[in-house]
Amino acid sequence: MASGGSGKTYSFKVVLLGEGCVGKTSLVLRYCENKFNDKHITTLQASFLTKKLNITGKRVNLAIWDTAGQERFHALGPIYYRDSNGAILVYDITDEDSFQKVKNWVKELRKMLGNEICLCIVGNKIDLDKDRHVSVEEAESYAESVGAKHYHTSAKLNKGIEELFLDLCKRMMETAQAEERLKGNGASQSASSRRGVQIVDDEPQATPAGGCCSSG
Amino acid sequence: ICSSFLDLVKKKLRTERRGIHVDQSDLLCKKGCGYYGNAAWQGLCSKCWREEYQRARQKQIQDDWALAEKLQREEEAAYASSQGATSLGPFSKFEEKKTNEKTRKVTTVKKFFSPSSRTAPKKESQDGKTPSPSISRQSSMETDRVSRDFVDFLKNLQKPGREIHKQCRAFIESLSCKKDLSADELSECVQDFYQNMSDRLMSHFKGSSECVEQVMDQVEKYIMTRLYKSVFCPETTDDEKKDLATQNRIRALHWVTIQMLCVSMDEEIPEVSDNVVKAITDIIEMDSKRVPRDKLACITHCSKHIFSAIKITKNEPASADDFLPALIYIVLKANPPRLQSNIQYITRFCNPSRLMTGEDGYYFTNLCCAVAFIEKLDAQSLNLSPEDFERYMSGQASPRQHDSDAGWPQTGPAPSTVATNTALAQLHDNLEALLGLSSRQENLMEAAQSLQSDLVSWQESVQQEVKDILEKYPLEIRPPAASAIDADNVENDRLPPPLTPQVFAG
Repeated sequence: MASGGSGKTYSFKVVLLGEGCVGKTSLVLRYCENKFNDKHITTLQASFLTKKLNITGKRVNLAIWDTAGQERFHALGPIYYRDSNGAILVYDITDEDSFQKVKNWVKELRKMLGNEICLCIVGNKIDLDKDRHVSVEEAESYAESVGAKHYHTSAKLNKGIEELFLDLCKRMMETAQAEERLKGNGASQSASSRRGVQIVDDEPQATPAGGCCSSG
Repeated sequence: ICSSFLDLVKKKLRTERRGIHVDQSDLLCKKGCGYYGNAAWQGLCSKCWREEYQRARQKQIQDDWALAEKLQREEEAAYASSQGATSLGPFSKFEEKKTNEKTRKVTTVKKFFSPSSRTAPKKESQDGKTPSPSISRQSSMETDRVSRDFVDFLKNLQKPGREIHKQCRAFIESLSCKKDLSADELSECVQDFYQNMSDRLMSHFKGSSECVEQVMDQVEKYIMTRLYKSVFCPETTDDEKKDLATQNRIRALHWVTIQMLCVSMDEEIPEVSDNVVKAITDIIEMDSKRVPRDKLACITHCSKHIFSAIKITKNEPASADDFLPALIYIVLKANPPRLQSNIQYITRFCNPSRLMTGEDGYYFTNLCCAVAFIEKLDAQSLNLSPEDFERYMSGQASPRQHDSDAGWPQTGPAPSTVATNTALAQLHDNLEALLGLSSRQENLMEAAQSLQSDLVSWQESVQQEVKDILEKYPLEIRPPAASAIDADNVENDRLPPPLTPQVFAG
């Protein structure tokens, strides 16, 4: 879904998933504002943030969508992550349950979106390593088994966050480029890249289905 | 005076009586056809009203037609200057597309016979629905204004502007011919049109997405204002049914409190409640807009007010964990009109570049989430026991009533305890305030009484003083002394004796 006809500017949508209190908001505020628990944070909200990047001469517009992490909103996930290019799944290394939640998310995302979406599993709060309840080996081997990358971060100490987003962007660019090649870079990509958000979530993926004027 | 007053009373009585009494002739059709009329039909009978209405409608259609022609002439004239220039390369493909569209029409004829299309009853109900010609008149004025704006905007683009305009008009006309398309097919057409248009614009502006976006915004505004009436909540869908269902659902959930949703907004703070009211107004206003982008802007404004409310309450930027519950609360409080229709309309006809990754798209997605949540909301999602949830839903109990029955929040489920606590806290505050007021009043009364007694004693003391003084210095009224001129003359003795008259004999 990389828009920008001649491939000059990429627009990516990244969803931020994870239980409440794992530090999703801190992570993204650290990345976009470089602030942590700061009284002087200027932004009104931390649920939708954008970042402009320049990676190897290519412009990238990153839109980061925070999602409500409470259990009662879990069922709404598909509405959020529809059409997203990447997902950042955050867990708290001191909280075994939050890692379990990440596993559930991974299963769901792979089922709904297949391999098109770049997954990042992020163990946050590594500054609290002495209270670690999720072992590094377990987390990393799990990530590898599901085709995701694993990152260790600390929003408090500003560790690993820049790398996480940069890496994700590069991977999303590769995926987008591969997709472009596959489609022959024609105008036919219109059908799949259209269809934004729909609230009926059991509807099948919008198929081209001979639109009224699908030009060849 | 008395008689004129009587007249007045009589007059009043008469007019009052007239209000009740209805003359037989008032009930009859104003056209005098002998049938009974109806106030709803401006005093005409059903037949005469229909005739009258048809005539007005016919005239309306003619007027609109004339106006449209006039507009077109204006538009043609506007481009006369830029004409003669070479036509834009990329747009030539449009002709090809048009033929594609024509061939497609054949397939849509089949649609006509499928059970989903209901063209015949649709027309009737549409006629019945339109309440008065004046409303359509108003909307056509708006359409004219938008058309004029569009032409003005395209003038600046010169050469391609004319092509864009031509394509848009052709597209609208082609769509208005195809009445029997389903909503999804309509959406497909519009989206394809957007896509083709932006592809062509992209190659024209050589990849400057800003310019393309600007033009596309105008194109969307023009097309959707024109198509709005036929594609918003169309008869071929069950949008209207869904609207009603959602509306009723939200009504049935009137008892849900801000605490049950765990919303981090403190409405006690005036600034916060101010923002809450503004957010509610914004989300309600969405229904009044015609262009999908304007509807999206309403959602965005609403969201910004919610963020302000949360930031004031929590003193930190709102995360999605705070935002979504707050938005759900706002939707429940606002019960926005035709919510489902609006969401469907935006989904179908908004330029996708806004819905996909943009900020507006994020808020729109959250609104969709809020609606989905409200639809599926159950006891668990509010942390209530199923029994309580059922009782609240059926109206047998309400959280607040329940609390007052229980008397004190020792019993009952946790969330209602929270609700009670806040209610009680408020009561407590009020009582304290009242107590303070009454003690102040007592003080005031005491002070007033002492002032009164002071006044009395002061009066007495003054009287006493006056009396004392009077006694001390009794008033002596001396008899007035001789009023001779020299009565006061002290040195009388020294004066020579008065002359006595002497008699001289002589």
